[in-house]
Amino acid sequence: MDVHAWLLGLGFALPGLFVLYRAVRLGSDVADSIDRAVGPLGRTLLLSFSVAATASVVGTALAWLIVRSNLPGRRFVRVLGPLPLVLPSFVGAAAMLAAVAPGGVLDGALATIGIDNPRLRGFWPAWILLSSFTYPYVLLPVAARLASLSPAAEESARVLGRSAFGAFVSVTLPSIRSAVASSGLLVFLYTVSEFGAVQLLGYDTLTRVIFASRLSDRGTSFVAAALLVLVAVAVSGLERAMRRPAHADQLRASYVVERARLGRWTAPALAAVWSVLAIGLIIPLVSLATWATRAVSGGDIDAARLLEASWNTALAGLLTSVVAVLVVLPLALAVVRHRSRRARSASVAVVSGFAVPGLVIALALVFFTLNTPGVGWLYQTLPLLIAAYVIHFGSQALGASEDAVLAVPDAVRESGLLLEASAQVRARRLDLPLMRPSLLSGGGLVLLSTVKELPATLLLAPIGFRTLATDVWGSYEEGFLPDVGLAALVLVVLSGTLTWFLVLSRAEALRAH
Amino acid sequence: MPTFHRLAKTSVFALVFALLASACTSSSDDDATVTIYSGRNEELIRPILDDFTEQTGIEVEVRYGESADLAVLLTEEGDQSPADVYLSQSPGAVEFLDDEGLLAELPSDVLSLVPETVSDADGRWVGVSGRQRVLVYNPDLVDPADLPSSVFELTDPAWEGRLGIAPGNGSFQDFVTAMRGSIGDDETLTWLEGLEANDVQSYPKNSAIVAAVGRGEIAAGLVNHYYNFRLLEEDPNHVGLNHQLASDDLGSLLIVTGAAVLESSDNQDNAAALIEFLLSEDSQRFFADETFEYPLASGVGPSGDIPPAEFGSVADLDVTGLGADLPGTRNLITEAGLEG
Repeated sequence: MDVHAWLLGLGFALPGLFVLYRAVRLGSDVADSIDRAVGPLGRTLLLSFSVAATASVVGTALAWLIVRSNLPGRRFVRVLGPLPLVLPSFVGAAAMLAAVAPGGVLDGALATIGIDNPRLRGFWPAWILLSSFTYPYVLLPVAARLASLSPAAEESARVLGRSAFGAFVSVTLPSIRSAVASSGLLVFLYTVSEFGAVQLLGYDTLTRVIFASRLSDRGTSFVAAALLVLVAVAVSGLERAMRRPAHADQLRASYVVERARLGRWTAPALAAVWSVLAIGLIIPLVSLATWATRAVSGGDIDAARLLEASWNTALAGLLTSVVAVLVVLPLALAVVRHRSRRARSASVAVVSGFAVPGLVIALALVFFTLNTPGVGWLYQTLPLLIAAYVIHFGSQALGASEDAVLAVPDAVRESGLLLEASAQVRARRLDLPLMRPSLLSGGGLVLLSTVKELPATLLLAPIGFRTLATDVWGSYEEGFLPDVGLAALVLVVLSGTLTWFLVLSRAEALRAH
Repeated sequence: MPTFHRLAKTSVFALVFALLASACTSSSDDDATVTIYSGRNEELIRPILDDFTEQTGIEVEVRYGESADLAVLLTEEGDQSPADVYLSQSPGAVEFLDDEGLLAELPSDVLSLVPETVSDADGRWVGVSGRQRVLVYNPDLVDPADLPSSVFELTDPAWEGRLGIAPGNGSFQDFVTAMRGSIGDDETLTWLEGLEANDVQSYPKNSAIVAAVGRGEIAAGLVNHYYNFRLLEEDPNHVGLNHQLASDDLGSLLIVTGAAVLESSDNQDNAAALIEFLLSEDSQRFFADETFEYPLASGVGPSGDIPPAEFGSVADLDVTGLGADLPGTRNLITEAGLEG
């Protein structure tokens, strides 16, 4: 177990070690480099905290509305809710910019309310757009946690006279707090590493220093990356340290849910839910669709190429999500059930990996693969690409896996130990069914992130391995907007279908038992 | 905790399985294949590469990416790089690799295909196609009579808040490097600070500037000439026109895309043959007519829509010296308070 934790921690720490090594080797004038990075660092922190806080509130509220309330159309919202995650952020931002521009889908609407030719630049647009793109990181784990949580306590509180909201705050919130905190951390780290959208929106953060100086001043580039890694390690270490010891659910697991009646809150709730979906998903999609129609009417659709890209995308996404969950689940068990300190240190490395930009992760793996004897044959193969994805996105499976472990009540485990000798049978009949909603949501998050990953894919994929994200990027780079729209829409449909069949419908089926 | 051990074991198996699953897909490394790292977009090069394979029987494998990312990748790979040829969008990235000592010398019969002004002084890379710096403008917002003839007029109050640039973009940085070479660091800094004081709008890339001009967000922007033609081809409703600054102005600099053979390549003959093919008349015609660029090989003219540009007319500037001091350029841009 220790060996596993050590190896895992080391694997996930590779990008950080690489960055520090390069920063020390190349950073000739570290003081000067840091000086240059301080302003962007402040902006990175401001944006990341704001987005994380907003996404936590929005994601949790949405999760509760979907799982615990009688919100009209909640099944539909349940499918659409996670989807903002599938748009590569630069595509979402570009689509939004096009939407508010003259001739864009929102232009007329904005003009009627007196906003003329708005400029989406700077902190506010970055904050709103990134929050709308990232709340699914919170929605999926929290909804899964709510689904596996017995509503009995909340119902008792209601019977004793608490309002629905009061019962939620005093009874439910403490039980989902760790899920909210760990997924809020994910949003924070995502925003730290975010480059495409902030660049388009003209908000100058640390990642831009890394990218802008990667050729012209490599020392500064790696010093900025090292700062970013330190922020990630500090914040995720802090979150882990502040966490109260988690307790497994002690209540009898139950799946009969009495949904809260929204009553007069129905209309405001619907308005809020659909506004979030509008910004995060619908408006960007409509923009993309207008671009795509030009490709369709132009008649030059390369179906074979799209099919190949879709297949590669699905393959890489599915392999990564399965591997990621299998790799981090033992760590989650060690952290939660056995309170292992080493496992906890390793988990900080896993979580921090999410804040490191894909370009840096890719370069780190290039460095280690080519300089370690005996593994050179792995270079630019699919397994190495999957390894890069797992290092980058393993954090998303980790939080969910910890929730999964928490979802097995001690009483159930103890009865299981008494009644069934075979660990295999216990795992299959007791642990896994209870863990399933959270594990699936973790795998789903990894899947959604992987299918849109770009920088590591471009550098590490087997040569000629085209994905939908690389197609979107290639077309966007040269301004072929119709192709951008088409490939991005295929990406949304593919990810939506995969998450529905593999994650949501299966988590749902559980409740029918 | 048997469950735990089982899971740990399963996870290790899963990793091993994933590693082996497609180990067999490793790329072919024989002489008949040339491997390219291309900063040039697939749409803008693939047809020529297909012709090359058809005519020579030499297979081509391409990794597409941003020029700068691929250059950084090549530095990490060093002598273990699988790449034979590197194609760059701008002189900056290919000069960077030259400085790192990663490029091989090109055969003289390849170098002789282009004028001396568009190849590397020590013969390690050649220009393949050219892009001219222009001022793209929105005719609804700018009276053609008010268009400047020099970039130095853009610090005028008339342009306050109306101009877009892409300070982090390679082409813009190459242009600033050229300006430093021509008028010195102090004057260049003064001009950059003038832009900043004039509330210049920063964008991540050329295409974003052209789109912003089209939707009226800004009146004009400093870009490469072909983005406007491409956007027009995609979107006939796009509003935007190119304005060529005076032919002797720094603002109408010609920036070349570069091609080089990697020193680490064990397939340098075929790699050089490929670069020679990029400079053949048919390939050069493709760059002129399909991607709206300036052909560089001697004797091929630009597409009908595009006004001719004179090589070497820009203050006798040696374009291949561009990119030699990127850090200095970036420092100036940052010092002026622009996001560079």
